[in-house]
Amino acid sequence: MSFPILSLLILTPLIGALTLSLSNSSQLKNRTIFLSGLWISTGEFLLSLLLPIFYDQSQNGYQFKEFHTWFDKFDINYYLGVDGVSIPLILLTTFLVPICLLCSWNSIQHRVKEFVVYFLLLESFIIGVFVSIDIVIFYVFFEAVLIPMFLIIGIWGGDNRLYATFKFFLYTLAGSVLMLLGIIYIISITGTGNIEVIAEYVFDNQIQLILFLCFFASFAVKVPMFPFHTWLPDAHVQAPTSGSVILAGVLLKLGAYGFMRLSIPFFEYASIYFQPLIFTLSCIAIVYTSIVALRQSDMKKMIAYSSVAHMGFVTIGIFTLTQDGMNGAYFQMISHGIVSAALFLIVGVVYERHHTRMIADYSGVSNIMPRYSFFFMIFMLSSVGLPGTSGFVGEFLVIISTISINVYLTIFTAVGVILGASYMLLLYKNINFGDIKSEIKNLTDLSRIELFYFSLLATLTIFLGVYPKILFQMIDQSINIGILS
Amino acid sequence: MINFYSFAPEIFILILILSTLTLGLINKGSSISLNILGFVILSFFLIFNGSSLYLNSSYSVNTINLILLSKILLSLGSTIFILMVKRPLKNENLFRYEYVLFILFATLGSFVLISSDNFLTAFIGLELQSLSLYLMAAFNTKNLNSNEAGIKYFSLGALSSGFLLFGISMVYFDTGSFYFQALDNFSYLSEIGLSLILISLFFKVSAAPFHIWTPDVYEGSPTISALFFASLPKFASLIFLFRIYHELNLSDIDSLYYIFQIVCAISLLVGVYGAITQKIIKRLLAFSSINHVGFILLGIMSYELMSEGTIFFYLIIYLITTFGIFAVILNLRSSNGELTKISELNGLRFSSRSKSISMLVFLFSLAGIPPFAGFFAKFFILSASINEGLYILSVIAVVSSVIAAFYYLSVIKNMFFNDKNNDLLLDNNKIGSFVFISSALILTLFFFYPDPLINLVDGLFS
Repeated sequence: MSFPILSLLILTPLIGALTLSLSNSSQLKNRTIFLSGLWISTGEFLLSLLLPIFYDQSQNGYQFKEFHTWFDKFDINYYLGVDGVSIPLILLTTFLVPICLLCSWNSIQHRVKEFVVYFLLLESFIIGVFVSIDIVIFYVFFEAVLIPMFLIIGIWGGDNRLYATFKFFLYTLAGSVLMLLGIIYIISITGTGNIEVIAEYVFDNQIQLILFLCFFASFAVKVPMFPFHTWLPDAHVQAPTSGSVILAGVLLKLGAYGFMRLSIPFFEYASIYFQPLIFTLSCIAIVYTSIVALRQSDMKKMIAYSSVAHMGFVTIGIFTLTQDGMNGAYFQMISHGIVSAALFLIVGVVYERHHTRMIADYSGVSNIMPRYSFFFMIFMLSSVGLPGTSGFVGEFLVIISTISINVYLTIFTAVGVILGASYMLLLYKNINFGDIKSEIKNLTDLSRIELFYFSLLATLTIFLGVYPKILFQMIDQSINIGILS
Repeated sequence: MINFYSFAPEIFILILILSTLTLGLINKGSSISLNILGFVILSFFLIFNGSSLYLNSSYSVNTINLILLSKILLSLGSTIFILMVKRPLKNENLFRYEYVLFILFATLGSFVLISSDNFLTAFIGLELQSLSLYLMAAFNTKNLNSNEAGIKYFSLGALSSGFLLFGISMVYFDTGSFYFQALDNFSYLSEIGLSLILISLFFKVSAAPFHIWTPDVYEGSPTISALFFASLPKFASLIFLFRIYHELNLSDIDSLYYIFQIVCAISLLVGVYGAITQKIIKRLLAFSSINHVGFILLGIMSYELMSEGTIFFYLIIYLITTFGIFAVILNLRSSNGELTKISELNGLRFSSRSKSISMLVFLFSLAGIPPFAGFFAKFFILSASINEGLYILSVIAVVSSVIAAFYYLSVIKNMFFNDKNNDLLLDNNKIGSFVFISSALILTLFFFYPDPLINLVDGLFS
């Protein structure tokens, strides 16, 4: 029995949340609560750093495995393990949660303890999704994520938060229950919930198609793909900044991760069969949502639509079913996790100072907040996909990998890149340049905390853009052996 | 020679009834403690010595386990229920020792019903149970709604008993026997008779489309009575329905099998559609219970996978959740009496942390969101039904649980997102708090340590 690091990763925030919620809130100051949450999540981050350090890249399959029997009768077990595909996402999660807490330091003033508790629970559940290699445990965590997110949007959200949070919850649940039926059917056929075993089982073609659609319903809502994406702008606009950050940064990746971890290894035939459908939907997503983003007057909504477009690249890359495409998609996931999170933080900064998200209310910010504009520029350029930033690598690989499949696909994705550049540049121009509006003259530049986390995110963006190999080293083998074989 | 030992529990309850009656004449307050003591003794007897009860009976082994476990649960449930009864009744100025008597009669009826092996005994058990329930519904005699609930329940209940008797007589006419075992090859007359019997049972467990009474009766009767209707007698009737279904092999008779399927589907859907627009919490719970009955019927039809275990597990989780929710509601009062409207729960988060978090657990558990135990209950039922090949019903079930999530979420919305309602009064009592906190703990901790419950249901039936 080795050191149970994965259980520890799940339990640390859980126990932290429990301890916090049992403490007497009236005696604790908000500052103390935030600090303790911050300490817990930072500790969690340091703990998760052990994963890449001790991960043996030369080996195939899952590592750090933990196994406990859970429901013997169905062969459903508490079975954890990670491979190269899960580790970067775990790191992304543990990295973003402290930042979420930091950025809420000033903006969340009421019910602080609950806020920290829900965030820690959320972190625990998300990590649970990434480390589980039993299909039922996976589903349990995948669904459980909804609960804290529902509360976070519902309690600290904007004016229309009820509509947004209900839509978020019900959309995702509706997709997920179909996956649940699929999971149950798989277990009734294979007699086990173990992902490794199921991946080797070959289902009948006809059954594969149905099961694939069941799983697709859940993941497509989560990603979100084109016809199922309407919950995302609402949820993003209404969520507090920290909620948007974790939503765009990590929650959207759960869907793509599900495609990579479950759909493709389980249903090889169906994945090829449904390739055209997914390419079509993704192309529509890229072009259509980019055009929609172009017309938005609300910054958050614009970035939310850009998220849909960027996740379109991810789904295209995944379903090229080639090493390059998959690598690119994965890189795009991580990069989008950092960049879109940073962009939502950027919006949060001005919203906190000026209490409006309308683009028209801002102009000439660069004169008043030069540091802010600097960081905004880095993230904007990374989102556009400028070489040297992390956004470039993923998009580039995805586009290259599509050429071998279909040239029209390449054209559409490339058009998406251009459209992406146009709305992001437009957003940047409208906010940062031009005459200084009199209402915003008194805005203060970034505080030290903000400076701290923006420089972390910016460093990471540029580092990944310049040295993408560090990520590819980690995922290459796992994608090649674990998913595509 | 009659083997008296095999119905020792029933005789014991009868003795309890007689002593409660006698004691009630002398000292009205002590009936509760007497009965708690009695039921604790009964539970201990059943747990440690129960397996010897049916040694010489004609039941099969699985049936014996089912009967025994149901009786243990009923007697434990009654203990908790009698413990909870006093405070809510006192609050409404209703505390009379007769109420405890009704509980006893209903429990006796449930016991007889569960272990009956012929239709006549079953009828007696069912009537004994139902008559006490009518009285419990109308117990608040000064309240018009309560009277209305009692009369509605009684008149419709009497109608369904009529169906039951008519069905029984048709079966008797056809086969010449009341015994379940004697019924193997029968004609269409028995089929009609059995369908009438089923209709009556569907009425008792409030499966749609025989559910019309449920919301009205729940709403009108005192909350504590509504808790009783929703939990123990329903549990007993469902167990009996399960026995009927399997001991008579109803799945082999096409017409009855279709009736079962249709009723299951309608219950699943009517339960959720009815609940969406409800503003009154007891009506909401009534409709939600119809939805859950749909799930249990689905479980009854898909028998193979974990045998009785799936249904039993679902029922246990459902009982725990129901007790928990009602315990929270009973521990709250509005300025003009019992808590009725959902909007009165507004901002419960600010007035009571433990209550709101427990409610959160219960509602998510009812909605079937993991990691709470309600998810696993639904998971097992769906596993069984998919294994059985009931795909369409399974899809209906999960779709209904998505719709159901909407109204459970709206209650959570009221408690967590809305501002505080100043009319809400806390009426903390230790037993109620104990019940809902421990229920919430069980539902949550099941994820971490499922073994005890799983072994309980699994070990007894395999």
